[in-house]
Amino acid sequence: MVPNSPGKGSIGKMLTLNNIYKRYGDITAAAGVSLALRRGEIFGLLGPNGAGKTTTVHLSVGLLQPDEGSVSIEGLGSPALPSVRARIGVAPQAVSLYEMLSGEENLAFFGRMYGLSGRQLPMRIDLALKFVGLTDRRRHAVRSYSGGMKRRLNLAAAILHDPELILLDEPTVGVDPQSRNSIFESILDLQKQGRTIVYTTHYMEEAERLCDRVGIMDHGKMLALDTVPGLLATHGGKPTLIVKTNGQEVRLETEDPLAELNRLAGLGPIEQFSVERANLEQVFLKLTGRTLRD
Amino acid sequence: MLAILAIAQKDLRILFRLRSGIFFTFLWPLLVAILFGVMFSGPGEGTAKTRIAVVDEDNTDGSRDFIARLEKGGAFDIVRTGRENAALLVRQGKRSAAVVFLRGFGQASQRVFYGEPPKVELWMDPSRKAESAMLEGLLFKQAAEGMQKILSDPSASGDAVQKALKDLKAVPESSEMAGVGQFLGELSRFLETRRSVQGGTAQASWQPLAIESKPVTVEQTGPRNAFDITFPQGILWGIIGCVMTFGIGIVSERTQGTMVRLQISPITRRQLLAGKALACFSAIALVQAGLFLVGRIFFKVHPSSWWLLALAAVSAGVCFVGIMMLTAVLGKTEQAAAGAGWAIMMPLTMLGGGMIPLFLLPSWMATIGNISPMKWAILAFEGAIWRAFSLQEMLLPCGILVFVGIVCFSVGTRAFRSV
Repeated sequence: MVPNSPGKGSIGKMLTLNNIYKRYGDITAAAGVSLALRRGEIFGLLGPNGAGKTTTVHLSVGLLQPDEGSVSIEGLGSPALPSVRARIGVAPQAVSLYEMLSGEENLAFFGRMYGLSGRQLPMRIDLALKFVGLTDRRRHAVRSYSGGMKRRLNLAAAILHDPELILLDEPTVGVDPQSRNSIFESILDLQKQGRTIVYTTHYMEEAERLCDRVGIMDHGKMLALDTVPGLLATHGGKPTLIVKTNGQEVRLETEDPLAELNRLAGLGPIEQFSVERANLEQVFLKLTGRTLRD
Repeated sequence: MLAILAIAQKDLRILFRLRSGIFFTFLWPLLVAILFGVMFSGPGEGTAKTRIAVVDEDNTDGSRDFIARLEKGGAFDIVRTGRENAALLVRQGKRSAAVVFLRGFGQASQRVFYGEPPKVELWMDPSRKAESAMLEGLLFKQAAEGMQKILSDPSASGDAVQKALKDLKAVPESSEMAGVGQFLGELSRFLETRRSVQGGTAQASWQPLAIESKPVTVEQTGPRNAFDITFPQGILWGIIGCVMTFGIGIVSERTQGTMVRLQISPITRRQLLAGKALACFSAIALVQAGLFLVGRIFFKVHPSSWWLLALAAVSAGVCFVGIMMLTAVLGKTEQAAAGAGWAIMMPLTMLGGGMIPLFLLPSWMATIGNISPMKWAILAFEGAIWRAFSLQEMLLPCGILVFVGIVCFSVGTRAFRSV
């Protein structure tokens, strides 16, 4: 069990994974994963390829059933139930859209799958398209969209039915900086509206920018789970003070760089100094190792 | 139910936007039905008229009347022209033959009992013996009809007898001519008697044959035309197109990730599969209706029973929706599923009479063909179209189709869970 540290999200729980196991033959995709998501937080799930992130997402939305353990949406029950799934929105890792249909037709279809109909359906489609900035291209076939536009429409399909819990599986893969920025802003808007978001990614800077808490997974296990500063503090090691004095560079690992700098200043003139702190990528590599993954 | 309809509607919309889908489900089957129908038909009832040139050198009422009757008979497409042009047209192959009505044709055609017969010249390529014989026969027929017209009219035949008697006087006397003169004299007196009796009687009038027509409906024992055979084949190809398109469509949903989105949505697996099945069944029904409509309107394909045709269509739909479901789990990629699908479909279609009509298959192949659902589908369609099956006879092919459909659908959906 990995303890849950406090984040920006409100206190009530949204999603709970309790000691989940999922095996495919000899491969264990989830090995005792536990997680409690707070209502209104953005939770980042980091891990190398094959770490078990997508399996965890699929378990969370009821697409897969755990071999052991349980998954529940607070107050609703297991996501294996269709009525519970209706409260969840998912943007799968692959752009899951019908290329031959227009953006609007795609959303209309997925909206019907979530029970939207009548006047509510076009209203929700308008909102979703506006939210991702695709109103102008609504009638164009998806096959004519750029990679970034497809990703944005993928996100629109996930939020169309106004879900409480949104799972975004690597939503920025292969998109340009403009589309990536647009997706970030959309996600932060969703958080402001009170939505709970699970965000899986390879990109550390995305997790640092967006996520209230981050879980780092590998080999189906949750290796660490905390806020970014918490992770840095726990797994980043001591800061390194680099001082140049009398033409020589000195590197010192210290809990308190300022106190150490003052101490060194008393011993002689300091020509130059800097402090190096571990970033999330270093923490990630420290936890998951530097071995290349398939 | 709304979700099922939405899935079906979406799948059909995608089908109609895929050019390859439209081609293989609608156009290709139509081409198969029409091309094979035309090939099997041969010239058929729509034989083209024989194109001939006519040179009327006589230009009398007699020759004009004869040519008009030739035209009216419907066997000839006639162009009137001069000798030189007629010869040129035949030489160049633009006309099959030329018929020259020589001077004196009209006068000679009035001589029924004595004298030179009317003469025509027939110009034709000597290598075309069959056509030449046919043409001569048709010309004789017209001439005989002209004679019959004279003989059946007492006034006209009386004039012909008087003309013959007058011509005889110009010929040197002989015992043979005396006999002819005696016969014509007696005939003239007979015709005079008939003319004096107002109206006459049917027995007294000259008529080579009395024909009374009575309509008798011929019992249909085979296909009315080749399209009766090729349209069921075409419909089968259309159905196979639907099976492959929708089967591979399900595989595409998996590879492109839309299946994940559907499975995550709050619909049950049963609703999802029902939507897919409904889409495929609707497309099959549309293909069947569309092709049959074309066959009905343009190629005189009509069923012996509409109800039995509907039964055949529904049974085939159920069967091939099941087969579609099985196709969808044959491979994990579109290429694998398409390859495996066609590898199974083609031999079954061959054995089932989808390429060669069932009644032309060798008996051993027809026996093996019993394992092919395509055979039972074609048999059901043929049963409703030209084999004039009773409901009892339809139960065997339709029952087999439904059974195969249910088994395939069950196996397919079970395998679908594990893919």
